[in-house]
This record gives sequence, structure tokens and C-alpha cells, in this order.
Amino acid sequence: MTKHKVALTLFLTLFAAGGLFAAKPAPAVKKAPAPPAAVIGGLTAVDMPYDVGNAAMLKWAVNPADTADTFYVVYVSSLATGGWLEADRFAASAKTGKDIELPFWAWDGSSLEHAVKIELNNTYGDSLPDAAFQFKVAAEKNKQAIAESLPVSVTPVGNWFRLDRLNNLVLLIALIVIFFWAVSHAKRKGLFIRRIAGLDAIDEAIGRATEMGKPIFYVPGIGSMSSISTIASAFILGEVAKKVAQYDSQIKVPHYDPVVMTVCKEVVKQSYMEAGRPDSYREDINHFVSADQFSYAASVDGMISREKPAACFYMGYFMAESLLLAEVGATSGAIQIAGTDVEHQLPFFFTACDYTLIGEELYAAGAYLSGEPMLKSALKVQDFGKLFVMVSIAIGMICVSVGAKFGWDSFVPAILNLFQNF
Amino acid sequence: MKLIKKQIPLAIVFVTGVLTLISYYVPHKVSVDYIETLNKWENIVVAFAFLLGLISLFFSHYNKIARKGDGWGYSIFVFIGFLAIIIPAYVSGGKQMVEGVLTPLGWSYKYIYTALSGTMFAVLAFYIVSTAYRSFRIKSPQAFVLFVAAFILILGKVPLGQIIWDSALGWTGQSVSAVIEWIMQVPAVAGKRGIMIGISIGAIVTSLKIIFGIEKQYMGKD
Repeated sequence: MTKHKVALTLFLTLFAAGGLFAAKPAPAVKKAPAPPAAVIGGLTAVDMPYDVGNAAMLKWAVNPADTADTFYVVYVSSLATGGWLEADRFAASAKTGKDIELPFWAWDGSSLEHAVKIELNNTYGDSLPDAAFQFKVAAEKNKQAIAESLPVSVTPVGNWFRLDRLNNLVLLIALIVIFFWAVSHAKRKGLFIRRIAGLDAIDEAIGRATEMGKPIFYVPGIGSMSSISTIASAFILGEVAKKVAQYDSQIKVPHYDPVVMTVCKEVVKQSYMEAGRPDSYREDINHFVSADQFSYAASVDGMISREKPAACFYMGYFMAESLLLAEVGATSGAIQIAGTDVEHQLPFFFTACDYTLIGEELYAAGAYLSGEPMLKSALKVQDFGKLFVMVSIAIGMICVSVGAKFGWDSFVPAILNLFQNF
Repeated sequence: MKLIKKQIPLAIVFVTGVLTLISYYVPHKVSVDYIETLNKWENIVVAFAFLLGLISLFFSHYNKIARKGDGWGYSIFVFIGFLAIIIPAYVSGGKQMVEGVLTPLGWSYKYIYTALSGTMFAVLAFYIVSTAYRSFRIKSPQAFVLFVAAFILILGKVPLGQIIWDSALGWTGQSVSAVIEWIMQVPAVAGKRGIMIGISIGAIVTSLKIIFGIEKQYMGKD
């Protein structure tokens, strides 16, 4: 029995010890991903043209063997070795040279090569490291790398000219040439300017206010002084204020923007001086109301309702308050003249006001009212500009239609590029 | 004196205008920095001008109350409204919410300012109705075209209108929604683009007038 116990103990001890001395299994070695079988050749990296210096362009040949489930992954690094970050991922059928949105005179893209714009800001934020950036491209299928390129590097730099905006520049130069021609022509001969009913009615409105002994409200809108419509409104205010001063009527100009108020104060004061009535000028003609849209509308509505003005002018930049103001003015029985360049507010003014200046007429109003030949010549430029655009559009339409009919694949995009803003 | 009042301001306008114009065609960082600097200056000027506006506001309403002018009672609400926001803002340290709880400023903003703004915006609905009524009084051929277009749009936006259209004009094979789509996509867009082209050219010409010193009414005349 004892013999059996000793044998069992010995067996157990040996069994336990066997575990200690047994060969340990080799630690699990992580299998490194198999290196891509193929190499993507011909990868080049260049600075992205016509930009501020925060993008690079990668190009490599399209592989005809790529299938629908092949993806390309672009990696970027700001370090000499390693530190790769994924910058872009796209299907192999996408992003060829034809997909770069640049006009034909600034970019010669081919559908036979991939062209990828890499915005480095998206990866590195606004302050880019001042270094050359490394790029590499990997092709993936079912999330397995099947090919990879050798790294290439480029240092993005800021460019000095937007060649893609050449069409815009040419149009601007043409307008400047016409502008100076019209100004010099106006000095010599004078120009015929078509009549604008809304502006001819200003005299009538001011005369009515004078006869009724009621004030005129001039609302310059909610635009800032950097808005063209507000600047145009200030010019019109000058002419209206001059007539008001001549007729010895009253004008009130409630403001939304304190900077506009400051400019308008000078404009109105000057108009009163030119009219020979500086004594009639009061500082509170221009007064600040509110820099909040609906507070402004509520306050001006209140003034119009209480004071029942004889005439209301709404000239400048307007949004939702356009109808709030014009409708209250119409209800109060005032003669109303409006002008704005916000095209989606024009219908409200059309229906609620007696006269409406549409966009460009607002810009022309100051010159039209002043009657100065030099200023009026600018109206001629506007008309020539519109003629130029109309003729261009007509020619463009014919070219595109003919090109589409005969299947001129490169001609149609080229014509469309000419009319496109980049 | 003319140098300070006329020529120097005109030179500043010219240089600033030309540089800003050029910056549209120059993508370099120098150009971007220049535009950013201009924007910062504008913000600073606006901040100071806002003080001027506030003084003007208080001055005109104070005078109205002092003179007991027409509607002077309303002017009191300018000061009440000002205090109803400024005092809570001061007490709350400018924060509208702390740990999920409205501060006095948050309360004023939500229950006074937002409510009043919402009310004003809501009034717009009634004004649109009265304006629509006015525009439906056909006085000219253009007004008739406007009326027809607006009527079809209104008709197509309500189920009853669609039923009426289908029963009266169903034989044409055109649904009211297709007609609305055409009105919005063809004549409306054509008109809008025409206006936008005119506006763009007008804006360029106005800018040129200012940059080259031909339009200088904003500085007064000689």
C-alpha cells in the first residue's frame, strides 16, 4: 500500500516537475503584413499650381488592371522617414487629370493618369510645418495592400498669379478700357441716358412731403459700409437730402449700422451745405436704431406708423425686414420708392412699393440724380457691359449647342470654361 | 487743407482698392495676410463706431423723453430693454448657461430677446398675405403674369389645389407640380440670372468709380 502511495506521489511530482522543465511554446510572433507584391511606378509630386501654398498634387498613371473594388490610399508625412498619415482614399476609377477643376488654359489634364490634390491643411492644420512633405500611394483590394509606390517629396510654395482666373481678368480689363473711354467721351460730348421712372419719382415724393408737411423716411437697409448697395444708397441719400434741404422739408434716416450712420451724417451735412441750408441741418436726422435685424424693423415700423410719413425710401441691402418695412409704409399711405440688389427681396418691394429700382438701377441712381457727366458716363459702361455679356452668352450658347450636336468633346468644356468662375 | 481732406483720402482709397483688387488674382500668403489685416481693421473700426451708435441712440431717445415728443413713452422701453440685457449680462459674467442652468442673461435672452424677435418674424406671415392680396389686384400686363405664376404656385402647394388642377386641366397631361417645377427652373431662374448679371456689372462699375476717384460724393464736394 505504502509502495503504491510512494509511486503515486513520485508520479505526481514528476508530472508537476515535467511542466516546469517542459519546452515552453515559442511566443506568438505577429506576422508582418505581406509586402505588396507590386510597385506603383511613375508617382510624381508637384506643388499645386495657383494656390496659397498649402496643397500638393500627386500624379501617376492609371492602371488598366484596376477593378471596381480597388482603392488608392494616399499617405503623407512631414518627417524624413516614417510618420505616415492617411491623406486621401478613393476608388481607382476616380480622380483622374480630367477631374481637376481648372480651365483648359491653366491645366492640361489627361484621363490616363491619376491627379490628386492633397490639401495639407486638412491633415496638419492651418500652420504647416516648414518642410518638404513625403508622399506615397498604396493600392488596396479588400483592405489588403496590393501595390505601393516609392516615397516622393515636394515643398509646397505660394503662387503669385491665379492663371485660372484669366478669363475674369480679361473681362475686368475690357470693362476698365470701356470705362475710361466712356469717361473721356462724356467729358467731350456728353451721353444720352435712358430715363428711370423710380428716380424721376423722387422729386414727386419730396414735393408731396413738402406740401403735406410730413417727414420723409430714408431707410438705408441692414448692409455694412463694405456692401456696394449701401455705398450706392449713401450716394442717393446725398441727392435726396439736397432736394429735401432745398424744399425745406424734413428727412429722417434710421440706421442699423453705426459706421453707415457716421458716413451718412457727413453726406447729409454736405448736401445741406450745398443746398445753402446749413442752418436746417440737425444732428438727429441720422440716428442709430439697432444692430439687430428685427429690432431695427420693429423700431422703424413703429416710427412709420406713428409719424405717417409722406414718402418712404428703402435703398440698400435688405433681407426679411424688406416686407416688414414696405408693408407698414404702404398701409400708412406713404409714396414708396425702393431699391435693392438682393434679388430675392425684389418681389416684396415690387408688390408693396410704388417704384422699385432693380439692382443695377440702384447703383446708377446716384449718378443719374447728380446729373454730372463724369458720373453718368458710368451708366453707359454698365449698358456696354450688359451688351458684351449678352453677345458673349449668345455666341457661347451657339458654340455649345453646335459642339454638343457634332460631339466635339473637348470643344464644349473649353467654351464652358470661358464662362466659369474659378 | 485740400491735400488732407481730398487728395490723401483719395490716394488711400485708390491704393487700398487696387491692392484689394489685385489680391483676387494673387493667391500668395502675402495677399491672404493683407486681406486678413483689412478685415481685422474693419472689425476694430466697427467696434468703436458701435459706441458712437449707442451714444446716438441714447441721445435721441433721451431728448424725446425730455421734450415729451410724440410717442415718448416708447423711448422709455429703449432704456428698459437695454438694462434688461446689460444688468443680467454683468451679473452672469456674459454666460448664458452654467452647468445646464440658465443664467439671468440666458433667461433674458431666451424669454425676452428671442421671444420678441420671433414675434416680429411671425408678423411677416400676415404681411405676406396682405402683400399677396395687393399683388393680385391686376393693374398691368406684367402684374397679370405675376398673378398667374403666383396662382399656379399657390394652387400646386395645397392638396385641394392639386385636385382642382387634375379635374380641370388633367386632360393636358401635365401635373401641377411639373408646371411649378418649370416656372421655378426656367422663367424664374432666367429672370434672376438677368438681374444678377446686371448687378454684377453695376457693382464692378461702381467699384471702379470709387477706386479711380470719379465717385467721391461720400467725401463731399470741392
